[in-house]
Amino acid sequence: MSLSLPLLAAVGVLGLLGTGLLGLLVTRNLIKAVVGLQILVKGAMLALVLAGRLAGQIQIGQSMALTVIVADTIVSVVALALAVQVRRQFGTLDLQALSTLRR
Amino acid sequence: MMTIGTLALLSIGLPWIGAVVVRLIGDRRPAAQHASAVVFALAGAVAAVAMIPQKTDANVLDLPLGSAFGHLTFLPDGLAVFLAVVATVIGSLAVIFSVDYMKGERQLGRYYSYVLFFIGSMVGLVLSSNLLLIFVFWEITALCSYALISFYNDDPKAVAAGIKALIVTQVGGIGLLAGALLLYVYQGSYDVPTFLATASTLPADVLAVMAFGFLVAAAAKSAQFPFQTWLPDAMEAPTPVSALIHAATMVNAGVYLLARFYPAFEAVPHWKLAVVVVGAVTALMAAVMALVSNDLKRVLAYSTVSQLGYMVYAVGTGGIFASQFHLLSHAVFKALLFLSAGAVIHAVHTRDMREMGGLGKQMPVVKVVMIIGGLALAGIPLFFNGFWSKELVLEAGREGGPAWAWAFMVVGAGLTALYTLRFLSMVFYGEPKGHGHVHDAGPAMKIALVPLALGTLTTYLLAGPFGGFLGRALGEGHEVGTTGQVLLGILTAPTTFVALAVVALGLLAWWRRESLSGLARALRGIGTMASNSFGFEAINRGIVSATVASAESLRTTHNGVLNWNVFAILVGLVAVLAILALGGA
Repeated sequence: MSLSLPLLAAVGVLGLLGTGLLGLLVTRNLIKAVVGLQILVKGAMLALVLAGRLAGQIQIGQSMALTVIVADTIVSVVALALAVQVRRQFGTLDLQALSTLRR
Repeated sequence: MMTIGTLALLSIGLPWIGAVVVRLIGDRRPAAQHASAVVFALAGAVAAVAMIPQKTDANVLDLPLGSAFGHLTFLPDGLAVFLAVVATVIGSLAVIFSVDYMKGERQLGRYYSYVLFFIGSMVGLVLSSNLLLIFVFWEITALCSYALISFYNDDPKAVAAGIKALIVTQVGGIGLLAGALLLYVYQGSYDVPTFLATASTLPADVLAVMAFGFLVAAAAKSAQFPFQTWLPDAMEAPTPVSALIHAATMVNAGVYLLARFYPAFEAVPHWKLAVVVVGAVTALMAAVMALVSNDLKRVLAYSTVSQLGYMVYAVGTGGIFASQFHLLSHAVFKALLFLSAGAVIHAVHTRDMREMGGLGKQMPVVKVVMIIGGLALAGIPLFFNGFWSKELVLEAGREGGPAWAWAFMVVGAGLTALYTLRFLSMVFYGEPKGHGHVHDAGPAMKIALVPLALGTLTTYLLAGPFGGFLGRALGEGHEVGTTGQVLLGILTAPTTFVALAVVALGLLAWWRRESLSGLARALRGIGTMASNSFGFEAINRGIVSATVASAESLRTTHNGVLNWNVFAILVGLVAVLAILALGGA
């Protein structure tokens, strides 16, 4: 069994998704949560390109990935800007300390 | 000459346009608001009445609306046009009455716009023949009733009553929605005439679910057992709104739904019996509660619940004509009773009957019309429409329903006579309780009251033409003869004499109430239970507190911690994948 390109890409997708989800599961730091989210989205992007290639419509997969890049950039810019403001206002980036839904 | 399709759209649309116009006029010009509300309500009534000569048994309007919802179709047959006329004509009289009743109130724009929206939606509900569209109008009427019951939104009781009405009628809405979706799955469209023609081809259990779902919907909307508690609480609304809800719009929708779908559900096992049970239990229970209440509007509310029980009972025994005829009578005399009660309350500024009394001399016009309405409610022969239609209901029940239910209804008729006399004498006779100067009804109030009083004295003369007008909606083999035949049939029916004897007994019981005080003491336990609405309020409170408690305990899962939320997402993902894997195998 040779290492084909789709197989490598599939391993990459699973690895990125797993890393991102693990980051979101364990972190308490807002910046690290944004980083985890970024890794997760990169995995999704790669999955889109891979799906396009497997379906024989690589251009659709690529344009979907480009769309996700735009949206994803905006998300991270806004999230990081909010993180800066949160740090200034509350003096912490600890998500559990920031939660107001506590009983 | 306008086509009936245009007229149908106008009778829905004109009140709706009026609702917008009244809002746009703004609360700084109340005179213009009063005038335009009356004009648009009357215009809608004219459009509805103009549909009468053109009624038809085929869909007249077909507005395409994508593939998912089916076409918006309207079917102005006899039954639909009849209810549209009731809604718009009695609705307009309530609007005219409001000109005096709501004089000087704030936020008239909000008041009139919901009233007009309510009337238009009720017309839409009865005219449309697309079940999904019926559901949409059904929910709009629920929303309008909620907004109007809570009109005095600085009064916590009014707000609570509005929310209660909304929640209870939503429960019924679920039944209707479930029925509509099932129909779409098995028939491929929401078309009601197709369903009525081919109902027997549907699987029996599906039909049964639809039938009982619609019964729940109708019971919630028409305040029938076990959903009757919202209607008496709705008395916090301004009195013309009560008249609107009780006589013209809201509560008729449930009876309409049962009558409309009766041909399809007739053969469903136990359905007719269930309808009879709901109607009979409600009629008797509400009559007892009306007997012990001291709030004038609550007495009338319980009497509405009780009379609606008679209509539902009539549908269950197969007497569609009897139920619709009683609906007509009830709409007229109950609007009359409510509006005259509104005039009384407007004059003395209280709803407690113990603080009234001796008002007959000061309010002669109101006294006369309210007694006319009361005698119709009590079923006194011969010149009041309530007598004829109630005897027709009882006769239909004797022929088509179980004997115990018939006995319930006859006893209920006696109680009706008893509580009617009780509230009439508490309000108009006896010693005045000192309200200073009490003024009689204003001119707009009289304009609304007099036609209703005349209607109460005459609508029974329309029995024959009315039966012919309903036509096919009555079902095969239920043709109605001329007015003379119908009235003669009622006069010679054995039920009439039994019922009259019981009514006379009820009147006698009020006459001799002093000597019956021992009996009254013996029955005090029932009276106490009735004032506590037979425990239904406690059940309601229990359901509410259980819901709140379970929601509180579920709140611990909403801890706002990112890691837990991501974990829940992952668990959900695994669950979905597992279901897909198992389902695909």
